Amino acid sequence: LVPDPNAEKRLDPQTKHLVRTGVETVLNPYDEYALEAALQLRERVPGSTVTVFSMGPEALKETLRKALAMGADEAVFLSDPALAGSDVWATSLAMSRALAKTGFDLLIVGGLTDDGSTGAVPGSLAEHLQIPCVTNARKVEIADNRLSVERETDTGYQSVNVALPALLTTALTFGEPRYASLKGIMGAKKKTIAALTVNDLALTEPVGTDGSKVAIESFAPPPVRGRGRVVEASDGASGATAIFEFLREKRLA
Amino acid sequence: MKDVIVYVEHRGGQTRKVTFEAATQARALADALGGKAHAIVLGSGARRLAEQLAAYPLDVVHVSEDTDVDAFLLDPVVDYVSAVASETGPALIVIPNTLSGRDVAGRLSARLSAGLAADVTEFHVSDGAVACVAPKMGGALITTCTIVPADYGVATVRPNAFEAQAGGPGAQIQAIEKPSSRQYGAAIERDVEEASGELALEEAPVVIAGGRGLGGPEPFDTMLKPLARALGGAVGASRAAADAGWVPYSLQIGQTGKTVTPNLYIGVGISGAIQHKVGMRSAGTIVAINKDASAAIGEFSDLLVVGDAFAIVPELTKLLESANASS
Ligand SMILES: Cc1cc2nc3c(=O)[nH]c(=O)nc-3n(C[C@H](O)[C@H](O)[C@H](O)COP(=O)(O)OP(=O)(O)OC[C@H]3O[C@@H](n4cnc5c(N)ncnc54)[C@H](O)[C@@H]3O)c2cc1C
Ligand SMILES: Nc1ncnc2c1ncn2[C@@H]1O[C@H](COP(=O)(O)O)[C@@H](O)[C@H]1O
Repeated sequence: LVPDPNAEKRLDPQTKHLVRTGVETVLNPYDEYALEAALQLRERVPGSTVTVFSMGPEALKETLRKALAMGADEAVFLSDPALAGSDVWATSLAMSRALAKTGFDLLIVGGLTDDGSTGAVPGSLAEHLQIPCVTNARKVEIADNRLSVERETDTGYQSVNVALPALLTTALTFGEPRYASLKGIMGAKKKTIAALTVNDLALTEPVGTDGSKVAIESFAPPPVRGRGRVVEASDGASGATAIFEFLREKRLA
Repeated sequence: MKDVIVYVEHRGGQTRKVTFEAATQARALADALGGKAHAIVLGSGARRLAEQLAAYPLDVVHVSEDTDVDAFLLDPVVDYVSAVASETGPALIVIPNTLSGRDVAGRLSARLSAGLAADVTEFHVSDGAVACVAPKMGGALITTCTIVPADYGVATVRPNAFEAQAGGPGAQIQAIEKPSSRQYGAAIERDVEEASGELALEEAPVVIAGGRGLGGPEPFDTMLKPLARALGGAVGASRAAADAGWVPYSLQIGQTGKTVTPNLYIGVGISGAIQHKVGMRSAGTIVAINKDASAAIGEFSDLLVVGDAFAIVPELTKLLESANASS
């Protein structure tokens, strides 16, 4: 299962939500790695199936077809205007309910979304689902309903062993995602993408903007960084001196 | 939110620098919110690290050397932090924005029904509300968001965004009781440090990054490392260098690698592709060494030196070393 493909984004100045119209709909590259992991594990566990899951505005639904073309068996898409403006908390609450309803043994989520967002959704999702969360996997073995995971840490790596059900996120070192085959693309055209709305989730708390616990107040472009000084160095010593003096001037050396 | 709780990250027996930055910031936040500043140190060696932290302007440092923290992934930490949070009452929990910090923040925010602000570079408190400034989308946008007033809030803080400053009367060190006797799920069977003793790239005040222009793995060791040492920094790389197998992927800076925010970034033999830029453009000062005067990196560098890296870098290292020796 792969939540939330994210395309290139802009914030709308009025609503302060991300503008998602007119952007090309693609799978979040991180999610393609997650899907690749799922497809590889399916090959190793006879009888298993891969379902892709995402939440987003209706217009993004068809992106899931690419995942079906890559080889996923089924697709589920949660969409509802009431979800617009959801923060990490509301997004993961809604997704967790939809995923619990869909059912799974292993939930694989792409790492950081491409827009460099919070990176906190996997942990939050796992907590809502009350399952262990193993992030940044670069190698996964599966046997007897247990996963053996090699995961990247900030300073090295760890081997982790965990029983299913569990949530896993993939690191980019996991291996390149496969391309969709022609047969896959044709097959995906015929598949239906199951639709869920907020009504299906039996939520007791509000989601969307009302259910969010963080409110965006304002946003601005970063300070511009222009072209600075340029020094042509005729030899090593003159180049080195130019940098040394510059660092001195900036009190960096 | 009234008190402030800092989750302390440490690896290989050393507290990560970003923790000291968070501890210093916690004082200002707690004063503005009218509460106390706490820190939590967990796992083996926690006691010794707590004593170090007590030199920062905190009120209480909570410690536990529970071995579960080192033996199981994530869950024991979240149990401990939420136990301290329920003891303190309403609080803002501040967590380093690192790979492991993000997991703690996500899980904790769901458990405490807390709003989460990620990658914060500035806090503003007024009337008990906490506004957080954070760059989004690879630094293309700077957002300000408010954590909706509630009992708890969680913020992850960007390394190098806040100053670390020891001081204060000395914090009280307090043991935390084991919050849960549950059997944890994700067992850590092996924990390998690849960059032990070296400064983590995301936290380094100076980053020296090498690219395809270096032509192979050796210059990273023989040229960039000595330069990094002379400046008290760490070595990073472009994806081209990581893809070529010259350095591990853990050194890759950019869209699909790490985001670095040092005071000084020096790019050596790196062209400055947009995917690299998004990982380093928040650096305080950017210097590039490139033999091509029209390389894209020149468009956002404070200083571009056009010339041969193999000639310039060793000379620069010599200049810095002799300056270090005489100061
Ligand atoms: C989806 C995607 C994600 C990506 N993610 C990342 C990422 O996270 N990080 C990243 O870095 N890239 C990323 N890239 C790759 C990026 O587009 C560039 O290809 C890459 O950054 C180039 O690396 P480079 O600057 O080292 O190499 P090049 O572009 O080949 O530049 C080498 C530079 O070295 C200079 N040079 C050569 N010899 C010397 C010398 N002797 N002295 C001085 N200068 C010299 C040359 O003039 C040139 O400017 C990504 C690409 C894609 C498509
Ligand atoms: N109509 C919608 N249906 C389902 N999810 C949505 C919808 N609109 C936005 N979202 C999701 O809600 C979150 C917040 O998005 P936004 O409204 O753009 O700020 C993102 O995860 C979106 O994918």
